Amino acid sequence: MSGTISVERAERETVINIKGRFNFEMHSQFRTAYQEDTSKGQKGRKFIIDLSGTEYIDSSALGMLLLLREEAGTNESDIEIVNAKPEIRKILETANFQRLFKIS
Amino acid sequence: MKILIVDDDRINSTILNRLLARDGHAVVIAHDGVAGVEVFKKEQPDLVLMDIRMPRMNGYDAAREIKRWVANRFVPIIFLTAVTDEESLVQCIDAGGDDFLTKPFNRTILQAKIDAMERIRRLHGELRRQKEKVERHQEQLQQEMEVGQHLFAKIVSAGNLLDAPCLKRWTSPMSVFNGDLLVAAYNPAGGLYIMLGDFTGHGLSAAVGAMPLAEVFYEMTAQGFSLSELVEAMNAKLVTVMPTRMFCAACLIEVDFRQKSLLVWNGGLPDVLVTDHSGRVVRRLVSNRLPLGVAALTREDRKMEIMEMKPDHRVFLYSDGLIEAPNADGEMFGLDRLMSHFNGQGQPDIIFDTILGSLKTFRGDAEQSDDISLLEIDCSRAGEEPPGGMPRRSEKGLPPAPWEISFSFHAGTLKNVDPLPTVINAVMSIQAPTGHRERLYTILAELLSNALDHGLLGLDTDMKKTPTGFIEYYSQREERLAAMESGFIHLSLMHEPVVTADGRKIGGAIRIRLQDSGPGFDFNKVQSRLEDNCGHGGRGIALIRSLCSELVYHGAGNQAEVVYQWSC
Repeated sequence: MSGTISVERAERETVINIKGRFNFEMHSQFRTAYQEDTSKGQKGRKFIIDLSGTEYIDSSALGMLLLLREEAGTNESDIEIVNAKPEIRKILETANFQRLFKIS
Repeated sequence: MKILIVDDDRINSTILNRLLARDGHAVVIAHDGVAGVEVFKKEQPDLVLMDIRMPRMNGYDAAREIKRWVANRFVPIIFLTAVTDEESLVQCIDAGGDDFLTKPFNRTILQAKIDAMERIRRLHGELRRQKEKVERHQEQLQQEMEVGQHLFAKIVSAGNLLDAPCLKRWTSPMSVFNGDLLVAAYNPAGGLYIMLGDFTGHGLSAAVGAMPLAEVFYEMTAQGFSLSELVEAMNAKLVTVMPTRMFCAACLIEVDFRQKSLLVWNGGLPDVLVTDHSGRVVRRLVSNRLPLGVAALTREDRKMEIMEMKPDHRVFLYSDGLIEAPNADGEMFGLDRLMSHFNGQGQPDIIFDTILGSLKTFRGDAEQSDDISLLEIDCSRAGEEPPGGMPRRSEKGLPPAPWEISFSFHAGTLKNVDPLPTVINAVMSIQAPTGHRERLYTILAELLSNALDHGLLGLDTDMKKTPTGFIEYYSQREERLAAMESGFIHLSLMHEPVVTADGRKIGGAIRIRLQDSGPGFDFNKVQSRLEDNCGHGGRGIALIRSLCSELVYHGAGNQAEVVYQWSC
């Protein structure tokens, strides 16, 4: 049992919406969701990871976020994680991901 | 296709033979059940056309016999029958028949049925080949797993000191390989290093990362590197070898019994809990660092939390698999359920077991979804040696020979590097007196830290007497070290073999001289005072005296000289 991913693309922004369980089973789905943008090598695109519908997140999901960060160009990339529920925010903060991503 | 016809009616079998031969099939014929089975075994046809009523053995029994004999291979049997009543047809299927053909024979139907059976037969063959392939893969996987398990056990548990008396641990891997890494080892001065690591994911891919990490952990601990140097090296290793999406949430702890201190570094694990005599949580060490293997570490990232260790302290650490363990309804064990055990009801010694008990009850027979680990450090037993005594590294045991080495460390170096591992490893590679590494390490550690803390940084040992002073001491140390611009420590070690009257070399004496650029001290006064108050820190000059045959101060008190005797 895992989640579903939907993507909305605007001109300079991609919103990735994750519903349900964000775990290792989502690996290829999540990758497909952002690779359409990252594979073009286009700079300055903003990624918004919307976790409002996410019920659970595991360490593999954290790893996927790191992969997105790398494939989007690590430091220059603009990745924001939004609407995480308190318990999911706690997991992100335990891993100190606020140092790598904007979490709001 | 090779087809066997079993029919006692010679006209029937001749007609069939002609029909089949015209379509290019090879045909063999038997005229009763017994002969049918025999010919089948000899010719191994691909398909059988079987009459029912025959002498010696009827078609049902012959079909059963054939099906039993071919076992795994699929050989279709089509019954030839004049009757079409349901019961006879059911009997055909019961006997292992795959289809039936009613007399008189219609050529088109015969061809269609043979074609259909041929398709099923091919499919069956394909399936069987795939099954064999899967079985071969499984076999291979099993063998690889066994090799992996062997390596994993050897590397990860090499010199593992989880049987240190102050440790209690429980770990439950989700699969054969554990993605939670739990290791412990003593440094040469007797300080206990403990690490709990939780790799991304679980199973083999998670366990693979545990191997290089465990190696770095054991090697650097044995060589006397500090915990923050371990963190640096392990992080660098993982950043290099692991794919981006994998990292290791880890917590490292040093239990320093002599200094009565706990050093903690937490990158990504749940809060480390410290309880007092009532079992209440008196301190939480939250994760304030990135996990290992994510990014290069800054100087800030390598910093440890330091706290004073009291005998009634117990330290609990666990991997998130504990609070995320689901029950049969998919509900998680949760932080609240865990924290209810730390209720301050005065029985801290049973907390560990009651947590495990309540986890077991909660989970029931629900499937495990992640590796789970729980570890307790009982500080009252931190000074106890492991069963079998302290582990000793085996050294090369070089024969005693004269040598001399000297080092000069200046402020710029001392700010960034702990000189101790370099010095001790230099000595051990020249002389390597077996069983003396730990003592030499302790002596040099004391001399160097006295020179740095008191000589160069001007810190006052008395500060450490109170808990607030203890913390203050280390924060002042950090500030002054960062601000230090000048100063030096000169260290020289001179070795002379000890030779008996008949010329046998039975050991040696190492004369260690240490000079710092500090103002020195009134050593006549301080010497006695330090000996008096070694009770708190337990460290210092008294300890050096107990290990060395000589201890003298020169100059303004900023030069110390000790002699360490060793025998082969």
